[in-house]
Amino acid sequence: MIIFENVEYVYPNGFKALNRINLEVNSGEVVALMGENGAGKTTLLKHLNGLLKPTSGRVLIDGVDTRHSTVASLSRKVGIVFQNAEDMFFSPTIQEEIAFALNNFHFPGDVIRKRVDWALKFMELEEYREKSPFLLSGGEKKRLALAIILAWSPDIVALDEPTVGQDILQKEKMIQIIRQANQQGKTIIISSHDVEFIAELKPRIILMSKGRIVRDGPSEEVLTDISILQECRLLPPQIVSLTSKLDFLGLKPKLARPEEVANEIARRVRHLVNYS
Amino acid sequence: MSTILRGLQFYPGKTIIHKLDPRVKLVISLLLMATAALYLEVTIITIVIVVEALLSIVAKVFSRWARTVYGAAPLIILVFIANFLFKLSMPGQSLSFQSIYESLQLAYRLVAFLASFSIFFLTTTPEELGMALTKMKVPYMYTFAFISAIRFTPILAEELQSIVDAQRSRGLELEKGNIITRLRRYIPILVPLMVNVLRRSYELAEAIEVKCFGAKKNRTYLRELKMTTKDWITLSASITLFTVAIYIRYFSRISIP
Repeated sequence: MIIFENVEYVYPNGFKALNRINLEVNSGEVVALMGENGAGKTTLLKHLNGLLKPTSGRVLIDGVDTRHSTVASLSRKVGIVFQNAEDMFFSPTIQEEIAFALNNFHFPGDVIRKRVDWALKFMELEEYREKSPFLLSGGEKKRLALAIILAWSPDIVALDEPTVGQDILQKEKMIQIIRQANQQGKTIIISSHDVEFIAELKPRIILMSKGRIVRDGPSEEVLTDISILQECRLLPPQIVSLTSKLDFLGLKPKLARPEEVANEIARRVRHLVNYS
Repeated sequence: MSTILRGLQFYPGKTIIHKLDPRVKLVISLLLMATAALYLEVTIITIVIVVEALLSIVAKVFSRWARTVYGAAPLIILVFIANFLFKLSMPGQSLSFQSIYESLQLAYRLVAFLASFSIFFLTTTPEELGMALTKMKVPYMYTFAFISAIRFTPILAEELQSIVDAQRSRGLELEKGNIITRLRRYIPILVPLMVNVLRRSYELAEAIEVKCFGAKKNRTYLRELKMTTKDWITLSASITLFTVAIYIRYFSRISIP
């Protein structure tokens, strides 16, 4: 379980990035942090493994206060995939890149081999095992970054802007991977601007603005509240925009699959025609 | 390291120091460094550092300037140790107060050099520096390479921090172990940094080529540098003071404590 208690964070240049954050995330939850640039999403993520320590307040990861733990010990529980995957890469081959963290965490040799094999298979990167990480495509690099983290099986997986630079197929693959990891019992925290991606995933959404949490709730509620999304400089998902413009048919802003909305429109139009 | 890099980053202001012609500021910085190079006496180097501190106060960048000097502490300690060990390795030298004092003097001189550089870069934009160098007949190709290096310094500092964060999140502990182990642990930091730098330089090369860089030998500039009366007065005063410093060092009999 993740608990933020009255957390404030001020950068050395005086910028207050987090302002009285109170938050609880249960084990096994999927949570999306959304908001404009500079809202504090990445700063919040960096508090999960102690890269940043709160200026005031405290962060508890499964009861452990991050102020009194090292990044290395917290990272065993919390894996963070940063926005720029290449910041991680330095090894000559992909399998060595995955094994690096496992060595740091002192896993035995046979376990490392098994975990590397599993991560390569899970992320469909087996054929590139001996390839340099720098020679992968953008989507493959993101998958490798995730493989690196999942290999040591942290309980909490945090992803910072996982869809930046990804095409539609790669985004679908990312959704699949996130769902699978969640089914394995992992808590998933995603920081993203990509409303369509989040709408597809339908997690619990935490909207942030200027270092504060301005809304916390299920996707169906938060992503259909157009005014609060605009306040956080986010566009609503296309399906919500469409349904919000169909109030003359009696439709309300709704987060649903396109087929469902199409059927609903057809039903209401038929009803109107029959009535007239 | 990132503290030193930040101390070499331009900080906007409207002070008299900011408004000085960049050529004058460059000359003042070089003269201050030359003064520190002329003398090994702690008194004179302290005077140079005090002058630099006063200039930073006038330019309203004192805290940033002080942070640069503070951030350079590991480098200064390294220079001290290297000098000290070098002195000890010389034939006939032994561990004495004199050898420690002389090594300290050299390290102290480095503070004056770095502090002088810091004031110049804190109050001069890379563009101004480029204009100053071009006016001094430095080929624009070299000027551009130099100012690009300065302009990318803060970006590099940010990238360095991101890489350190990413690797620490994979269980890399930079603070543990002896010096050899620690140096080896920097490989996962340096490789991604080098890759980023190379990629950025290729991108920059492409970007300037599509903007016709080097199409004409003589290029024009949006702004032209012009020396004002204030610039001439400051320059004359600085050169006079430096001449006095040379005179005291080589021709006078004044003994310096």
